[in-house]
Amino acid sequence: MNTHISPAIIMRIKEFGESDLLITFFTSDRGRLKGVAKGARRSKRRFANCLDLFCLTSLEYELKRKGDLHFLHSGKLIDAFPGLRSDFSSLSLASYMVELTEILFPLGVADNKMFELLKNSFFAIDKGKKKDLLRIQFEARAMALGGYGIDFDKCCSCGRTYTGEGRAVFKRSKGGIACLKCQQESKLSPGLDHDTVKGLKTIQSSLWSEVEALNFSDEMIREIKSVLKLHVEYRIGRRLKSAEYLD
Amino acid sequence: MGIYPTSLENLIEQFTRLPGIGQKSATRMALFVLRSNKELAEGMAKSLIEVKEKIRFCSICFNLTDDECCSICRDESRADGTICVVEGPGDQLALEESGTFKGRYHVLHGVLSPLDGIGPEDLKVGALLSRIDREGVREVILATNPTTEGETTASFLANLLSQKNKDLKITRIALGVPMGGDLKYMDRMTLEHALRSRILICS
Repeated sequence: MNTHISPAIIMRIKEFGESDLLITFFTSDRGRLKGVAKGARRSKRRFANCLDLFCLTSLEYELKRKGDLHFLHSGKLIDAFPGLRSDFSSLSLASYMVELTEILFPLGVADNKMFELLKNSFFAIDKGKKKDLLRIQFEARAMALGGYGIDFDKCCSCGRTYTGEGRAVFKRSKGGIACLKCQQESKLSPGLDHDTVKGLKTIQSSLWSEVEALNFSDEMIREIKSVLKLHVEYRIGRRLKSAEYLD
Repeated sequence: MGIYPTSLENLIEQFTRLPGIGQKSATRMALFVLRSNKELAEGMAKSLIEVKEKIRFCSICFNLTDDECCSICRDESRADGTICVVEGPGDQLALEESGTFKGRYHVLHGVLSPLDGIGPEDLKVGALLSRIDREGVREVILATNPTTEGETTASFLANLLSQKNKDLKITRIALGVPMGGDLKYMDRMTLEHALRSRILICS
């Protein structure tokens, strides 16, 4: 029997048959997986309160030789993030993070940095950190880890290196910034202050602990938010279901 | 083309559309129907049509009924002034079976779930708010399940109701160790709840 134990974030739960649950979970070492927890709706011992939505759980599961579905043996709750259940806006933000992760990381694609990002973001929501800031920190880093990072090094039209001085304009079709000579600011091409560019660039490439220490003004958050909204929707090709409940 | 005659294949396909029923179970069920007498098939078909045509939501509490109002809303012996809010008809039935609660119910028909695109406007929240004034409600018991989504729904309703009526008593069903449970197998969060909600036996 090829069993494996790893910390996992419960992403989705679906009732399956009489007493089973179909679980989608995100692990650090094997990415997003699906598994069946036999008798989980009745068992008070093997899965004691650990298969609830967005919980961090230590899961013991059997690796399947073929097919997508794994067999879940047992689980132990690590953290239920009670703050996430305290209000609708917290649940909406956590749902948005999970939905974006699902799109960026298909089944079986592992990325330890993405797992840490999701876990740390849940801890931050639980602690009641500012949601607008958490959203942009997550979006920017997740998109970069998923291969859709914004290019801040040069103008995406003329190729001139961006020196970090003066305003820049975001160009969603190119996934990068342009200089003011090449692109005028508009609703679909919002402008960014040089400090905002620097901040967004740092979020994209830094670890959570480094980003947590940064200070962002309300104006910077507003600029980054509008850029990331355009960027995510353009790259994903649609608006996420849970995004409707964020604003 | 399947291995069975077309009409039997059709029945198997219809059964597989039910939740939790796979191909094997559906085949077993279809073969059972085939082997049984005609009355069983006729009774099932009649019940299926009847349930779709007659069952609707109670105009007051949104429980399932085949009349304008459900039997609980029609029952004059039940206590007015207390409404117990539940997620679905199954939860209401479970509470009724306990025989403890003698007030009125309100069925939300779901919980807040942004991941599935379910927001407050998709639940029977507006109707609950209008019942508070209309029926002179003094207490609302929030009996949504203690899951992430159920807890969030309870918090959301508690905020909304307290803003609407400052004098309204809003309570939440207790959480903790279940009857016949074993502390060794309890998770940290359940034990935390159980200790926080402990009751005084004697002083």
